[in-house]
Amino acid sequence: MRIWIFARVLKICKMAASTSSSVGSHLQARFFTKQKRFVVGNTPFSVPANVGVTELSSLINKLLNEDKAEEDIENVEFDFLIEGEFLRVPLASHFEVTQTSTEAVVDIEYVVKQTAPEPVGSILHDDWVSCIHNDGDRILTGCYDNGVRLWGRNGDNIATLQYHTDPVKCVCWIKSGDPVSLLVSGSHDQTLIIWEWNEREKKSQPLHVCKGHAMSVDAVAVDQSQTRICSGSFDKMLKVWSAVPSSGEEEPPEIQEQQKKRVRRDDSTPIIRTPISTLDGHKEAVSSVIWTGKDEVCSASWDHTIQMWDVAQGSNKSNLTGTKAFLSLSHSPLNGLLASGSVDRHVRLWDPRIKDGAVVKSSLTHHNGWVSSVAWSPSNKDQLLSGSYDKALKLWDIRSPKAPLFNMTGLDDKILTVDWSIPDLLLCGGADNCLHMFSTAEALSTTESSTDGNIAD
Amino acid sequence: MATTSRKRPARGKRNDELEEKLNLFVDAPADDDDEEKDSDKSDSDLSEGFDEESGSEQEGEYDPFANFDENDSDEDDEDFKPSDVSDEEDKSISDMSEGEDDTSEDADDEETKEPVTLRKKGKQLKKGKQQGESRKKKAVTDDVIESSSRPAVTGESPKEPLDNQPSQGNDYEFDSSDEEDIRNTVGNIPMEWYEGYKHLGYDVKGQRIVKPEGRDKLDEFLNKMDNPDYWRTIFDKKLGKDVVLNEEQLLTIQRIQQGFYPETTFDPYEPYIDHFTYEKMIHPVTRRPAHKRSFIPSLTEKDKVSKLVHAIKMGWMKLPSEIEADRKRKEEEEKKGPKFYDLWGKEDNTKMTRRHHAHIAAPKMKLPGHEESYNPLPEYLPTEEEVLAWNEQDAEDRKSDFVPKKYDCLRKVPYYPRFIQDRFERCLDLYLCPRQRRMRVQVEPEELLPKLPRPKDLQPFPTTQAIVYEGHKSYVRSISTDQSGEWFVSGSDDKTVRFWEVSTGRCMKTIEMADTVLNVAWCPNPAVCLVAVCAENSIYIINPHLGDKMVASGTDRLIEGYERPEEMKTSPLVEWIVVEDEEKKEQGFRLQLKHFKAVKQVTWHGKGDYFSAVIPDGGNSSVLIHQLSKRRSQAPFKKNKGLVQCVAFHPTRPFFFVATQRYIRVYHLMKQELTKKLLSSARWVSSISIHPAGDNVLIGSYDCRVSWFDMDLSTKPYQTLRHHRKAVRQVNYHHRYPLFASASDDGAVMIFHGQVYNDLLQNPLIVPVKILRGHVITNSLGVLACEFHPTQPWILTAGADATIRLFT
Repeated sequence: MRIWIFARVLKICKMAASTSSSVGSHLQARFFTKQKRFVVGNTPFSVPANVGVTELSSLINKLLNEDKAEEDIENVEFDFLIEGEFLRVPLASHFEVTQTSTEAVVDIEYVVKQTAPEPVGSILHDDWVSCIHNDGDRILTGCYDNGVRLWGRNGDNIATLQYHTDPVKCVCWIKSGDPVSLLVSGSHDQTLIIWEWNEREKKSQPLHVCKGHAMSVDAVAVDQSQTRICSGSFDKMLKVWSAVPSSGEEEPPEIQEQQKKRVRRDDSTPIIRTPISTLDGHKEAVSSVIWTGKDEVCSASWDHTIQMWDVAQGSNKSNLTGTKAFLSLSHSPLNGLLASGSVDRHVRLWDPRIKDGAVVKSSLTHHNGWVSSVAWSPSNKDQLLSGSYDKALKLWDIRSPKAPLFNMTGLDDKILTVDWSIPDLLLCGGADNCLHMFSTAEALSTTESSTDGNIAD
Repeated sequence: MATTSRKRPARGKRNDELEEKLNLFVDAPADDDDEEKDSDKSDSDLSEGFDEESGSEQEGEYDPFANFDENDSDEDDEDFKPSDVSDEEDKSISDMSEGEDDTSEDADDEETKEPVTLRKKGKQLKKGKQQGESRKKKAVTDDVIESSSRPAVTGESPKEPLDNQPSQGNDYEFDSSDEEDIRNTVGNIPMEWYEGYKHLGYDVKGQRIVKPEGRDKLDEFLNKMDNPDYWRTIFDKKLGKDVVLNEEQLLTIQRIQQGFYPETTFDPYEPYIDHFTYEKMIHPVTRRPAHKRSFIPSLTEKDKVSKLVHAIKMGWMKLPSEIEADRKRKEEEEKKGPKFYDLWGKEDNTKMTRRHHAHIAAPKMKLPGHEESYNPLPEYLPTEEEVLAWNEQDAEDRKSDFVPKKYDCLRKVPYYPRFIQDRFERCLDLYLCPRQRRMRVQVEPEELLPKLPRPKDLQPFPTTQAIVYEGHKSYVRSISTDQSGEWFVSGSDDKTVRFWEVSTGRCMKTIEMADTVLNVAWCPNPAVCLVAVCAENSIYIINPHLGDKMVASGTDRLIEGYERPEEMKTSPLVEWIVVEDEEKKEQGFRLQLKHFKAVKQVTWHGKGDYFSAVIPDGGNSSVLIHQLSKRRSQAPFKKNKGLVQCVAFHPTRPFFFVATQRYIRVYHLMKQELTKKLLSSARWVSSISIHPAGDNVLIGSYDCRVSWFDMDLSTKPYQTLRHHRKAVRQVNYHHRYPLFASASDDGAVMIFHGQVYNDLLQNPLIVPVKILRGHVITNSLGVLACEFHPTQPWILTAGADATIRLFT
C-alpha cells in the first residue's frame, strides 16, 4: 500500500517537475502537521527541489485522499513552514537563501492556508475615522466630526455621542455590560470623556470629563481590571485616570460647587475628573498607549522611544529606543511581543523582556508610507494587522517576515487606524471617511496551532 | 774657591797664598826643627784641624779629589810617569780592598803615624826653614786679624791660621768643579813646559810659584819605605808637591772604582714620587683653572672629522672593514676564476652606486634572431605578399627594418646596405637616451575633492515623502509651523489660509481672506497662539484656536485687554484696526494692520512681541517694526538703501538683518547702528534664514545660489552652493537638528547637513545629503516655501502645484 502511494507521489512529483519545466535535484522531505485532521504518514518523500507551494499542497492533498479514500476531503490549500518560516519560493531557492543543507531529510510543517480576509462592508462616516474599538457586538469609532459613533456589526448606526468640541482622536470600551456599558474617548479638545451607554434605553450620557492634558489626547487605553484609564497626549504626558463612574465627591471643592450648580441646571452635564497620576518622561508627543500588565503601561512617542511605566509607582521602568518617531504600538499577550508602527515604513517587533542586546526582533517591511496603526491578532500569536498612509492594510504572519500574508488594497485614502479586537473581524478606518470591515475565517487553524507552547517562531 | 778669592783681597797681601802654599810643604819640618812644643802643638793642631776638616767633610774630600781628577785626566803626560802612580794607586787600592779591617787599622795608624810623616818631611825640607818661619809669623798675624774680624762667616777656629791645612780647607770650602784651580794660573797645559824653569807657574797675583826641591830616586825609595802613607800620597804636578789622600777621598775613589755613586749619602733607590701620574688624583697638579679649549670642542678637529665623513660618504675613502670586505671579495672572485660580462643579460637596476642613485643604462640592441640568419628556416621567410606589403609600408610602420633572405652559403651574402644607417641610429639611441628620471605627479580628480562624511552617517534627515496636504487651489506661497509641531499654517494664492494637522494631513481650519496671501508666520512665543498673515496691504493677526485651549483663550484676553494710551502718535504708514466683525472674529481674526502699500513679508521676533513687515515699494519706510503689546509701529530706517527683499531677527541678540538685492545689512537694534554688511555674491536675494545659534546666516537667491555666511569668519560667503537649476525660493535652518534646506523653482528641495561647531577654530561642515522631489512644476514655478518641523527631522514644503508635502 505504502509503496503504491509512494509511486503515485513520485508520479505527482514528476508532473510537478514537468510543469515547472526543469529537471533538478531531489531532496528528502518529511511532512508533518499539528492539525490532526490533516496528518499524513511520517515517511520521508523524495521531492524535486524546484517545486513550490502549490505543488506541495497538491501532493499533501493527494496523500490525504489516498489515506482516507472513503471520506472525500475537498482540496485544501496548505502553507508550508520550514524551520519556522513560510515557504514562498520554490524549495531550492528557499534553501539557497537560508543556506540550509539539503542533504539530510528536511522536516516540512504544513498548515491549512489562511483564507483571504473578505471585505464584509464599509460604513461611511461624515468625516475621517480616527479610531476604532470593537467589543464584539458594537463597534466604536471616533470621527473628525467631533462625534463618537456606535455601530452594530451589520453596519447600522446605533448612536452618535456628541459632546466633544474638537475631532475625536481615540476611543476605547471600558466595560461592555448589559445593559450599561462604559466607554472613553479622547479628543483634540484636550479632554477625555467617560461615557455611559445604556443598551436597553439606547441612551448615552457623558459621565465624566477628564481634564488635565494641555494638548490633544491622542491615545487612550483601559487596564484589565477596567478601573483605570491611561491616556497619552501631544503635550508629552501620560495621565492615569479612574474609570469608575462616581458622583462628584472626588472633585476639588471649587469645581464641586460649579458642578453642583451645573447639576442643578442640567442633569446630563458630566462631572469633571482629574488624573490620578501623571507620568512625565517623554520628550515629545505621546502617540500610543497600551496596558501590558496589571500595573504596567507601555507608551510610544515621537521622541523615538517606547517607554515602560510602573503605574503604581508612577515611574519609568525601561526604555526601548528606535530611530524614528513612533505612531502606534500593540502588545500581544500570546507571545509577549510589542509591535510598533513608525514614520518609516517598517513594522518592528520588539521583545520587551530582553533587557540588553538587540531588542528589535525583526522588522516587517512591505509598506510604502508611515505605518499609522498596528494590531496583534487576539487569537493567533503569529499574526498582526497593520495599516499605513500608503492606503494599504496588511495582514502579517511573523513567520513570513519578507512579505505579508495578505494585502488589502483598494482603499481611497490613508488608513489612520486598524482594529483586531475580535478574532474574525478586521477593521480599519481612515481619511476616506469609511470604516472598512473584513472577516477572516481561520478560527480552526489558529486555535489549534496556537495551542502549542512555543512562543514566536 | 770663590770665598778664597774674596778672602785674599781682604787680606791685602800678595804673598799670602804663596806663603801658605809654601807652608804646606815647609811648615812641618820647620815646626819639627824649631821646637818640640811648637811642633807638638802644631801637630796636635794639625791633627785636630784635620779631624775637624774631615768632620766637615768638605775640604778634605774635595781638593785631593779634584787634583786626582786632574791628574787622572793628564795621565798621558810623559813627565808624570803614570806607571808609577798607577802602580801605587793600584797597590794602595788593592790594599784597601783587601779588608776593611786593614783600612780601619790603617786609619788608626794614620793618626798615630801622621806626626812622624810630617817630621820626616820636615827633615827633608830643612833648608827653607828660616824663610818659611818668618813668613809664617806674618801670615799668623794676618790670619788673626782676619779671623777676629770675621769669625762667624768662616767658622774657623782662631787657631787655624797657625796651621796650613785649615787655610787650605777654607780655600776649597765653597769650591765647585767648574772653577779652575787658581793657585797656579798657568791653566791646563802640559807641565813639562816649565821643566827648565825654577818656577812652576804663577799665582793669582802674578808671583812666580817656585818649584819645590826636587827629589831623587833614593828619596823616593826612602819615602816609599818609610812613609806608611805612601800608598795614598800622590804628587800634584801643578803645585809640585805631594798630597796625602784622607779616608773620605779614598772611599770616594773606591766607590768610583766599584761603579757606585761617589757620594755615600746619595740613595739612587729612594721611592720615586710621580707627580704627573696617569692616574686621576683628587688634587690637581696645578691650581690653574682648566683652559678654555679643554671644554670647547675643537673646530679644527670637527673640520677634519667632517672631511673624513664626507670622504667616506662619497666613497673616496674606505673604512677598514670595507677594505677588508673588498679584499675578501676579490679573493673569492679570484678563486672562482675569471668573470665574463653578460652583454645581453638583463639590466640589473638593483645595483646602485652611491653617487648615481637612479642610473639609467643605455638601451640595448635586440639580439639577432633566426630572421637575421643568412640561411633562415623557411617559416621565417616572408611570402611574396608580405614582401610587397613591407615595401608599401612606411619605414616607420614596418615591424622590422629588413626582409629576411635566404642564401646558400655565407659567401654569397652581399654587403648589408643599411649598415651605416643602422650604426648611426644605434649611436643616436645611445646619444639620445634619457639620462634622468622625471617624476610625474599623478593626481586623481577624486582625490582633490574634500573628504565628506557619507550621507548615511549623517542621519536623520528627511528622505521620503510621507504626507501630501491637499486642499489649496492655487500656489501655496508660504507655510509656518507652530512651536509644538502639531500644526502648521499655509497661505495661498487662492486667498485662503489653511491650518493643518501635521501628523495626519488633516486640514483643521480654512480662513478666507480678501486677497492673495503672500506670507504667513506663526508667533514663536509658545504662550500665545497667534498667526500673522500678510495679504496685500494688510497684516492680519489671527488666533487659530489650535493647540492648548488655555493659551488660545489667554491670547484672546490679552488682545482684548489692550487699552489704548491717551497720547499715542498715529503713524500715517500703518493703521491698527481691531476686528469687530463677529463673523470674522469667529474665524479667528483679531487685528488688522493696514499698511500704506503692499506687504510682502512678515516675520516675528523670537520673543513674539515684535514683528517686522517688509514693504518693497515703501521707499524710505520699506521696513516697519510693529510691537504687538503696545500696538505701535516704527520705521527704523530713514534712508532707502535699496530694494529690501526680506528681513530677519537674530534669534537671541538684538540684531536685525535686512537683505536688499545684493547685500545683507546687520543692524544693532539697541544701539541703532549698522554693525556689519554682508556681501552676497548673489544678484537678487530671495530669502534669508538665521542659524538658531545666531552666528551663521543662510541666503537664497534667485540666481540659483545658496550662500552660507559665517559671521565670525568674513563678510563674504563661507560657502556658496550652486546645486539648483532654477531660482531658490526659500532657505531654512532646522532649529534642532544640524540641517538646512533650500527650495527651488526646479521642483527640488535640497537637504544639507550643516553642522556648526562650538569650537571657533572649526569651520562649519556642510554636506548635501538629499534631494527631495515630489512637487509638480506649475507655470515654471516649483517649490515656493519650505519649513522644517520644529521637533522632528521632517520638512514641509509648499509648491506651486497647490500642495504641501511632508518629507520624513
